[in-house]
Amino acid sequence: MSDKIKSTDSTLLLECRGIDKSYNGPMVLSNVDFSLKRGEIHALVGENGAGKSTLIKIVTGITNRNAGTMVFEGHSIPLEHNKNAAERLGIAVIYQELSLIHGMSVAQNIFLTKEPLFAGLPVIDIKKMNAMAQQMIDRYGFNLKATDIIDQLPIAQRQTVEILKALSNKASLMIMDEPTSSLTATESVQLFKIIRLLKSEGITVVYISHRMEEVFDLSDRVTVLRDGKLVSVLEKDEISPAEIIRLMIGRALTEDESHHRMVRKEGEVVIEVNNLCSQGKLKDVSFKVHKGEVLGFGGLVGSGRTELMRAIYGIDAFDSGSITYLGKPYVPSVEKSIAGGYGFVPEERRLQGIMGAISITGNIGIANLDSISSRAGFVSGTKERERAQQAIALLNVRPPNPDVLVGNLSGGNQQKVVVGKWLIRDLKLLIVDEPTVGVDIGAKEEMYQTIEHLSKQGVAVIVVSSDLPELTRLADRIIVLRKGRIIKEFIDGTVTEEEVLRAASGIIEGSAQ
Amino acid sequence: MKAFNWRQLLLDLRLFWILLLLMALLSVASDRFLTIDNLTNVLWSVCLIGIMCTGAIYAPITGGIDLSVATIAALAGIIANLLMNVCDLNWLLAIAITLGIGVLIGWVNGIVTTKFNVPAFIVTMAAKTYLFGIAMLVSNGDQITIMQPKAFLAIGIDKYLGIPIPIYLMALLVVFSHLLLKHTVFGRQCIAVGANEVAAKLSGVNPDRTRIIAYIISAVTASIAGIVMASLTQQAYAMNATGYEFDVITAIVIGGTSLMGGNGSVAGALIGAVMVGFINNGLNLLDMPSSYHPIATGIVILVALIMNQGVSLPGFIKRLRRPDRAPGQTASQ
Repeated sequence: MSDKIKSTDSTLLLECRGIDKSYNGPMVLSNVDFSLKRGEIHALVGENGAGKSTLIKIVTGITNRNAGTMVFEGHSIPLEHNKNAAERLGIAVIYQELSLIHGMSVAQNIFLTKEPLFAGLPVIDIKKMNAMAQQMIDRYGFNLKATDIIDQLPIAQRQTVEILKALSNKASLMIMDEPTSSLTATESVQLFKIIRLLKSEGITVVYISHRMEEVFDLSDRVTVLRDGKLVSVLEKDEISPAEIIRLMIGRALTEDESHHRMVRKEGEVVIEVNNLCSQGKLKDVSFKVHKGEVLGFGGLVGSGRTELMRAIYGIDAFDSGSITYLGKPYVPSVEKSIAGGYGFVPEERRLQGIMGAISITGNIGIANLDSISSRAGFVSGTKERERAQQAIALLNVRPPNPDVLVGNLSGGNQQKVVVGKWLIRDLKLLIVDEPTVGVDIGAKEEMYQTIEHLSKQGVAVIVVSSDLPELTRLADRIIVLRKGRIIKEFIDGTVTEEEVLRAASGIIEGSAQ
Repeated sequence: MKAFNWRQLLLDLRLFWILLLLMALLSVASDRFLTIDNLTNVLWSVCLIGIMCTGAIYAPITGGIDLSVATIAALAGIIANLLMNVCDLNWLLAIAITLGIGVLIGWVNGIVTTKFNVPAFIVTMAAKTYLFGIAMLVSNGDQITIMQPKAFLAIGIDKYLGIPIPIYLMALLVVFSHLLLKHTVFGRQCIAVGANEVAAKLSGVNPDRTRIIAYIISAVTASIAGIVMASLTQQAYAMNATGYEFDVITAIVIGGTSLMGGNGSVAGALIGAVMVGFINNGLNLLDMPSSYHPIATGIVILVALIMNQGVSLPGFIKRLRRPDRAPGQTASQ
């Protein structure tokens, strides 16, 4: 069904055939065909480890393929491709980790290394550069000024600058890797507009995302990879989220994810928060979490969700209010919280969760020093390894080798390590903030099952998420925050994603507001 | 059980092979090199650097640096002499007080670095400057000769089984520091803070406390080195050990410790210190004029670091010659 592409088709911008790649060992890509039409939005999907990143690295010349042909705009690209050559050909990547220079202005970033010079002298013509940048910005109707400094722009606008930078390089192919992972819903919609604008200019966009709805909305065609092999290329009329997921994981998802019924669980109270206030962040927040309950927190980014979690874990102090933990008044501090049975999975895995240059053992051990060391402060290497292996087995971390550096694991497996270090403790309350950002579908499902399993064992779980299907799937009760206040609580029955989103955006009928 | 990995072992001991290679070269070049007397001499000369390394390594492991160790050592010698020969205190008590002052200096370095958020580079650079001032003030800028007590002077001069006492001291501190880093809660915490301070904090580590202790350890081992130095040279002088901080950092870096934090090897730092010692020793044996010494040292350090990155010479040349041409050009051939 995938073999619809005729060779030497003039509508094709890029045509890769029979791409093989291995990094000293197992094949990461084998015999993969990948082709892009001019001016299409083409989604590249697959689980983490399916070979998406490697394929992109080959196209952009960051790494070389072992075999196969690549033709870009009629030029055949030799095996020894490289990054500069790819840029000169017009292949641009909009990076997931943005590659802009922070202290510089928008114009300076766009024209970096190709600044217009003043009368042929080696002096930058700043006026001209700003004017040229502003002209580009206006042409696309972006809400930016050429003289804005990057630091002061929100992430979404920085991404726009990246796109402008690529446009100034006369890119005919733009590759976007998880571009919406750190954007709010509104910002994402804005980005989709820009992507469609690029398409109308004849630019081809390769779109990589784990969010199926986006892929479904945007794409003209979808290439699905699984285990380094091409599974299928879907045309517009064949695209449906369910079908893509089936092809990606090689089976249909059994769980019915869309209609989770919330259950009221009113056992023993694990944590009770009363009138928590924090200047400029939280106002009068009160809630309880019961044993075995999964409490979801919804709300837009910046609504105070993360601040609330940090306060009850003991990272940031609060101004007034009280907390009762396991029936006793509690003034949280990180060390006390951990000793008392909390677990905390922070929002930004790479910056706050993992120690990338350290092994799985080290990452797990650091939160379990109390149980692997003697009173004199000596760590038992054997116990530490046992604990790591326990966590690896519990969460099915791949590869199951405790000596692997966590930085070398896929996003999903990194997250398993961050969660795993708490699961081997005597856990009573687990707080997870955006648990599945940048995690592939298989690992996502495993994460959900882990949370469900924990709640069955009586652990109270607080889930903070911007991913609405995730929230409605997991939570027994959902609290929505807006501007630091609790604005709505969904207690039982079913809840739809729309209801949560309306509350979070402040569109509520008959609420206290 | 994990299968034993020879290849990994070869890689792990890379630095040791480089050292053996250097020794082999030197023993071919000079027949005076491979004698017990000469080897003992080299170890003796690297003792001060080695002792400083055992503590100074904790600063880079936690993501900082300590540039004040050499000045702390000079000051420690002056203070110890002051306490013994001016205040007439017992030599053991004098040493204890000197080490106590070391703790205080390290604590100040740590507090300013962590609580006031000043980069460690600046804090310890400032400490180096004001501690030098204090050393000049206390010693009147004099080169003081230490004639007594004999027990104090024995630390640097006496031998046991033909080996100087400072070598035993260095060995003891190396073992102690290695155990501290690799097998204790504190060691894990240092590595975690250096690898990712936020992640460490969220896992229950107190990064500030960990860092402060790291600077205290650094200052205390520097003080020990200062006491040994005063005893060995029978001299207390503010300019003693000038520039040693760079030898210490060089040894630590050659030993595979990253200045970015998150890893470290005490044994590696010791090998690094010994390597620098051998180079100087070899140049002496070969009667090279002294101006060549720093040139040779610098080159050997660079080569050792490149080899320690796992880059072979052919690989390096290939890297330099990697072509950078647009694919379109070759396609039109």
